[in-house]
Amino acid sequence: MTSPLDPPDGNWWDRAVNRRETIWLGIAGAWSLGIFAWMSGFTRFGDQNPIGETYDVEPEAYAATVDTYEENAETTSTAAIEESRAPTEEERQDVLVPPSKSVYVFPRRFSWGGLPVVLEAGTEYDIHLSSADVQHGFSVRPEESLSQQINLQVFPGTEWVVPMSFDEPGTYQVICNEFCGQGHASMHGTFYVVDPAEYETVTGE
Amino acid sequence: MLATITRLFENDYDEDGFRTCSVTGLNIHRSAEVHVKLFGLTAVIAMIVGGLFAFSVAMTRWEVVGLIGEFEGYYRHLSMHAWNLLIFWMVFMEIAVLYVGGPIVLGRRLPLTKVAKAGWGIMVAGALAVNYFIWTLSGGSDAPLLTAYVPLDVPLGFYGGAILFLLGATVAALPFLVSIIQQKREDWNGTLPLVAFGAFVTFVIAVQAILGGIAAFSYAFIWQAGIIDTINAGIYRQLYWIIGHGSQQINLLAMITVWYFLTHVVGGAVVASEKVSRTAFIMYLFFINLGAAHHLMVDPGLSAGWRIFNTSYAFYGAAFASMIHAFAIPAGLEAGRRQRGLGGGLFGWLTSAPWKNPIFASTIFSIILFGFLGGITGVLMGQMQLNMTWHNTYATVGHFHATVALGTTLAFMGLVFFVIKTMFQRNFISDRLALLVPYGYAAAMGLASLLMVYIGILYGVPRRTSQVVSNIIGSEFSLSAAEPLFLILGPMTLLAIIVGAVFVLVAVGSLLGGSRTTESDAQALLPQGGLVPDGGSDSVHAVEMRGTFTLCLVFMAAFVTLYVLNWFLLTQLWSIGA
Ligand code: HEM
Ligand SMILES: [Cu+2]
Repeated sequence: MTSPLDPPDGNWWDRAVNRRETIWLGIAGAWSLGIFAWMSGFTRFGDQNPIGETYDVEPEAYAATVDTYEENAETTSTAAIEESRAPTEEERQDVLVPPSKSVYVFPRRFSWGGLPVVLEAGTEYDIHLSSADVQHGFSVRPEESLSQQINLQVFPGTEWVVPMSFDEPGTYQVICNEFCGQGHASMHGTFYVVDPAEYETVTGE
Repeated sequence: MLATITRLFENDYDEDGFRTCSVTGLNIHRSAEVHVKLFGLTAVIAMIVGGLFAFSVAMTRWEVVGLIGEFEGYYRHLSMHAWNLLIFWMVFMEIAVLYVGGPIVLGRRLPLTKVAKAGWGIMVAGALAVNYFIWTLSGGSDAPLLTAYVPLDVPLGFYGGAILFLLGATVAALPFLVSIIQQKREDWNGTLPLVAFGAFVTFVIAVQAILGGIAAFSYAFIWQAGIIDTINAGIYRQLYWIIGHGSQQINLLAMITVWYFLTHVVGGAVVASEKVSRTAFIMYLFFINLGAAHHLMVDPGLSAGWRIFNTSYAFYGAAFASMIHAFAIPAGLEAGRRQRGLGGGLFGWLTSAPWKNPIFASTIFSIILFGFLGGITGVLMGQMQLNMTWHNTYATVGHFHATVALGTTLAFMGLVFFVIKTMFQRNFISDRLALLVPYGYAAAMGLASLLMVYIGILYGVPRRTSQVVSNIIGSEFSLSAAEPLFLILGPMTLLAIIVGAVFVLVAVGSLLGGSRTTESDAQALLPQGGLVPDGGSDSVHAVEMRGTFTLCLVFMAAFVTLYVLNWFLLTQLWSIGA
């Protein structure tokens, strides 16, 4: 009788292993390699990978970039987007229209700089993420389908450029899911993703 | 009062300070036993403190109750909960596990008892400091929560306390190492018993983790002290997770060691294959610490190759090792019980087991729930792409409550009960209440963890916030679709806390008011036929293990199903990433 409290006697290394235990080792080993292969293969053939270029950038420098970006951006309004019409001149203020395919997101305690923004469905944008102060959590989901959500970590001092293309038009809600201080629960922002056919109308171009 | 406490540390020892345990047959020296009790009791105190905060945290997250608002100190409460339970309850217990796995199993005295006491003292000082600096946090500073991520403005003293605690743990672990060295000196060619071997691997992994922790907190410390001007969030996270996850590996290894130990003593398990079980421990030694990287899956600045290699523990070397134990431990039980003729058929060995023994029930529920809930969710969320959908959601909280709060805590509760019976030699004040603990806690915490996972994955509810489900301040958007699930989760967390309180009641009550155990009480703990019935070790492999095999196949089926479902959910998302 072998007890885990006593030293094993004799040549325990060469003792036979139960047949079913051996089979299990095979199954568990194959599964381990299989899920490794799938994860690594998915970076090649899959469409959802948390991968993008990163750069070191001081928060002040990033802030300057975001300023320039915002100056070059047109604006439109939530009401125009929701009603699929052109914005009136007075309305134009609360939603950014990115001047190119680069979209800057700039969280600080406790708001999402760069948001809300309006994007065209099916177009690939480079989402730039960097923080002004502490770490934040970029957590995005379409309003109507809460289970389709993703989360990325945002650092101060690092700019992460993650390409994204929102296939379905809709309102995508952003909240912060990394603790960033008292007030953290109130951080929220929005991506408005509109049908390409309506994009020009609602952005007033 | 003092007399009551000193009495707790007494037993009948012979002139050399040894006694023979009437349950395990181990030769126990006073020095080892006293220190196991010391660390074990301290752990229970930490658990009580952390448990009180489980109440305020759980009743805040149940927004219908909404106990503590974000600006009324919720994050302080959450920090107290995390540090007292995950760090202090666990690490004090782990030092006790090392002393059991080393000196007690080997039948030696504990060497360097002064060092052990000093280690305990430093740990206590560190723990008090951490509690103090969290609790007295003032307006300007930030609560650390578990992770104390820089550049949050976490008080300098907090980092100091954390460093102190880790240093203390290293000091307290030294006597264990020395006892292993002494054993090896005396008998170089001898093989350590499996439990001592497991404890030794636990020790090595603990040292690696603690060094990482000291590095992380020192880095933050010198920054908060103004010695360096800037601090890099990514580097801190890498260092931090060496301890942040490393401490979970310590929990895991200590727990597995306890599983081998308790299934043997109260269930009659044997070792199905020394070679296989020891190889699995060795694989942990090499691979498990890589897994810390799975906390960095959605961090910028790390290459995909680095992340994939590390999160997979090098091709799932450590997950494979866990699946080996997942077979080996129940198989040991099956083989041991079959050899004794206890129960035939596919599962007779299991159904005939001592389910009315709270120590046995705690151990088995720990094994099953850790594997099915904690293990599977851990591998899922540790896949780089799936992590995007799990990271920092409530599902993460569900995962680690399934592992540490459910699996490890249950195993350690079983161990505390065992120590009360065999070392403190007290009967439970109520056998019924004692038995309620494993059943009630497993059910409540099991369901609670599962619901947390659902809430996180299906509704994207984040962790670490006091209010988002019913209302996100300043926004019309909310996650209120998840509210119905909270109606079940809330009461379940409350129930888990109540059962936790029953555990404390039984443990403390029995220590203070339980009757002394007699020889027959001790015998009643043992599996039928005693601990060491006849039967050759050569024949273990030939015993049927089909019950275990079936259970493992069910496990694998659940694993594969959940894996496919999670990936399906992921591919429903818009396209992300280069
Ligand atoms: C009845 C028992 C328990 C209940 C009801 C409970 C409840 C909770 C809840 C609701 C949270 C999430 C709070 C949030 O993210 O806002 C939490 C966090 C946590 N719990 Fe527990 N818990 C229990 C026991 C334990 C145990 C035994 C441990 C460790 C051994 C533990 C370790 C943690 C940790 C590490 C956190 C995360 C803290 C952070 O985010 O920094 N809990 N707990
Ligand atoms: Cu934030």
